[in-house]
Amino acid sequence: MALQVYTASLLKEGLVAYLTLENGNPSWTPDIRLATAGTDSELEALKLAAEQSELENHVVAPYAIDVLETEAGYIASTKREQIRASGPTIRLPQDAVRASRKAA
Amino acid sequence: MYQYSEQDHQLLLERVAQFRGQVERRLKGDLSEEEFKHQRLRNGLYLQLHAYMLRVAIPYGLLSSDQMRTLAHIARKYDKGYGHFSTRQNIQYNWPKLEDVPDILDDLAKVEMHAIQTSGNCIRNTTSDPLAGVARDEVEDPRPYCELIRQWSTFHPEFNFLPRKFKIAVSGAIHDRAAVAVHDIGLRLIKNDGGETGFEVLVGGGLGRTPMIGKTIRSFLPKQDMLTYLEAILRVYNQLGRRDNLYKARIKILVHETGEEKFRELVEAEWEKIKTSGLFIRDEDFAWIKGFFKDPEYENLLDQDGNYENLLLSNLDFARWADKNIELHKQSGYRIVYLSLKTAHQPPGDVTADQMDAIADLADKYSLGQIRTTHRQNLVLSDVKLKDLPALWEELAALDLATPNYNHVTDIISCPGLDYCALATARSIPISQAITARFDDYDYVNDLGDVSINISGCINACGHHHVANIGILGVNKKGTEVYQLTLGGSAREDAAIGKIIGPAFEADEIVDAIDKVLSVYLENREDPEETFLTTYRRVGQPLFKERLYG
Ligand code: HEM
Ligand code: SF4
Repeated sequence: MALQVYTASLLKEGLVAYLTLENGNPSWTPDIRLATAGTDSELEALKLAAEQSELENHVVAPYAIDVLETEAGYIASTKREQIRASGPTIRLPQDAVRASRKAA
Repeated sequence: MYQYSEQDHQLLLERVAQFRGQVERRLKGDLSEEEFKHQRLRNGLYLQLHAYMLRVAIPYGLLSSDQMRTLAHIARKYDKGYGHFSTRQNIQYNWPKLEDVPDILDDLAKVEMHAIQTSGNCIRNTTSDPLAGVARDEVEDPRPYCELIRQWSTFHPEFNFLPRKFKIAVSGAIHDRAAVAVHDIGLRLIKNDGGETGFEVLVGGGLGRTPMIGKTIRSFLPKQDMLTYLEAILRVYNQLGRRDNLYKARIKILVHETGEEKFRELVEAEWEKIKTSGLFIRDEDFAWIKGFFKDPEYENLLDQDGNYENLLLSNLDFARWADKNIELHKQSGYRIVYLSLKTAHQPPGDVTADQMDAIADLADKYSLGQIRTTHRQNLVLSDVKLKDLPALWEELAALDLATPNYNHVTDIISCPGLDYCALATARSIPISQAITARFDDYDYVNDLGDVSINISGCINACGHHHVANIGILGVNKKGTEVYQLTLGGSAREDAAIGKIIGPAFEADEIVDAIDKVLSVYLENREDPEETFLTTYRRVGQPLFKERLYG
């Protein structure tokens, strides 16, 4: 079974977050590399923590995604989740305008 | 422009207060996401790939400069300093926080704007011709009709929970700049033999996974009957449209499955019953609504200007811009100006808060304080004096809004795709940017002439790829983003759905593929006046196929 982490959107901000579970204490981080990953029974614990967090209205719609372990930490396996983890792959307009001004 | 009545203001304020309460209850946990979702979607608020997304309605694409400034303010204060103008003439914000949304809606309400009818299974914001009221080929100004539709459809109790979303577009001109044939209902203003104005009524157009061109169910509907007839169509759809299958719920499927003739009979029978109801539009109703859209006090000007003409001869950049991005106006001495939102630097349709403010100022200075949005994701200043064009051009160029490419190869429609959208199967913005970067030579772009490229990041087709001359659909093939090409579509009066040309291309092959398609066109056109679409229709797919896959 593939290694997985739990992800969701933060209720208040809508931003992407990943579940960490240390000594049974759940919290949410924007950085997928820091997420707690697991398979089987660890994953079951993550699932319960994520669902509890949803019930407590910290996050919306948690789900598990496959990750790969690298030296720098976990990365998502699919393109979609990679983009979700790191933001749009294009420069946001504000930054793009600044960059083009600099170049000019 | 329509001005809100006391009642309109009250309606909006109550709506914002209601939503503020819903947001508070959600944040406190009194509402579950399941319960809240329906409320937020009734107020244009989606949850997307990275964040919430708020879609704000721009009724028939018409904005005052003050409204544009408010849009800028919202982008700056609550978002990341930009907004995205969409193919439905609306604007989307990609990063609002839930707790801020009621304040955003309050700010919008102050300038008579809102996010109602921008999502959910209701009658969505009506779209129209961005040149309404100023076009030379206009039969009649469509805006009063759009405004009547807006008022009729806003919170229409009977049509608040349709089988699926419902989109209406109205065109008042000979040339279709509103893509009426690919809407649930398309209304085309025409004159009959007796010289009376009325509508050709198209029903059942749409894109998505089952693209269809709308069918004309009535070739002439007297204009007084517009609302009763719309009501009859919606009633038939509301009763018979499929609620059991999401993919079969749009009216296009109902029309298709019922058959055009039978569907027409059902509508006409329903209409007979309500023809003379309170929705019949009386002369005094027309007089009232048309009062909001009267021509401004145009000056009597000659249709020539020495400075302008000199600059055309002496400044190549100006001449190129004037050639591509300016349209004749019905009034002598005035011109319509397209602001290109298609540059190498920004995603199609994206505008920064600073640009929005500057555009609002330009509208005040040069164009009677109004701006229009187009379904091709550009903006329009509709009433610019010929003599002001040089000054306006300089200011637009400084804002990077003067790329001379209107209706040309780099004037690309692109949906947000996988960079923002939770439903996407592939990215679309980077593809549009790669195409824009490749075709950056003006002479080549000019030589290619009138051609459209549209890109969607999934089969929902928000990027209108089906009706582009060259359509690109991003799909996910075993984890890789690949791109399917369709050729021969059109969103205009000769509307057509493009045909898939063959197997999909990888992301790093698609620009070359487009290049090949364009070369086949250049080699085969009969003369430089023959457009891509005409050539394609004449020679058919084989030559293109051979070059792409041979
Ligand atoms: C990012 C959030 C978006 C979501 C969740 C979304 C969702 C959808 C879905 C599900 C459909 C298919 C509807 C059907 O066939 O029943 C659709 C179609 C469409 N959407 Fe979007 N869309 C989004 C963004 C946009 C944007 C940015 C635009 C404008 C650029 C847009 C304009 C349209 C249009 C024009 C269609 C096709 C016309 C039609 O048949 O209704 N949407 N969208
Ligand atoms: S076409 Fe698909 S990817 Fe693009 S905006 Fe629409 S739903 Fe999202």
